[in-house]
Amino acid sequence: MSRLEDELRNALRREEPPEGFAARVLARAAAAPEPRRAGAWTRVTRWFRAPVFARAAMAGALCLAVVLGVHYEQRQELERARGEAAKRQLLLALRVTGSSLRAVHDKVHELSAGYSDAQ
Amino acid sequence: MRLLVPLAVLAACAAQAQMLKIPPSFDKLADKAEEVADVTLDANMLGMASKFLSDKDPDDKAAKKVVGGIKGVFVRSYKFAHEGEYSDADVELLRVQLRGPGWSCIVNVRSKKNRENAQVCFYTENGKPAGMAIVATEPKELTIVTIAGAIDPEHLGALEGQFGIPKIDLDSKPKKQEQKDD
Repeated sequence: MSRLEDELRNALRREEPPEGFAARVLARAAAAPEPRRAGAWTRVTRWFRAPVFARAAMAGALCLAVVLGVHYEQRQELERARGEAAKRQLLLALRVTGSSLRAVHDKVHELSAGYSDAQ
Repeated sequence: MRLLVPLAVLAACAAQAQMLKIPPSFDKLADKAEEVADVTLDANMLGMASKFLSDKDPDDKAAKKVVGGIKGVFVRSYKFAHEGEYSDADVELLRVQLRGPGWSCIVNVRSKKNRENAQVCFYTENGKPAGMAIVATEPKELTIVTIAGAIDPEHLGALEGQFGIPKIDLDSKPKKQEQKDD
């Protein structure tokens, strides 16, 4: 145990830096290149990444989705109205046809009955 | 009571639905008539209409069966307040067409006393049913119906009991003209 203590004491003992160490570190720091200025793309996209714009974009997308949804629904409604109108016209046409055929049918029977009576 | 039905006209397709060439003078009849039924449906409109026909409603169900085979429907029905509002000569122009090739009139009913006349004719192409026409005239009423497409008497049979269509005993092939006069 004492040997371990001795080793730890030796490892953690303060050591004085070599002569000129501080001067060398400062000189190297002074010579380091300046950080690169952010490019145009980075400057632009940085604005888009801002939390405020993200929220605005989401709101815009939501509004667009609502508008498209409303537009789609209106088109569906228009198609439905046209289809119902076409259906009404078709049923009207069939009723007129039926009415005409009935009139012809009744007339034929009326004349046939008259012809039979005459005989 | 004036009954006006909005026109659904598509010019190029309407010609097919019509089958009969309608005299130009008929265009003004709607203004003179008290009641008008004016329907022109081409294949596109019929397809759209059939999508909205319900299988639950008996009329709709019957109509759906008929629509399947037809390409166009043309109806002009006018009821007038007075006699003489339409010209017999113009109606004759229609009847002449019904005597043309392809047409077979299975019923021709005429009443001189009541001045009524009605014809039911079928059009065949290459031996197959391709259309039907009804021209019915009364002193104060004129009705023209043309249906283009494969409507034959058997299809009419499917409509029995619907739309006021009576039971009609018709063979699949048109018989010789049945003419009754009084």
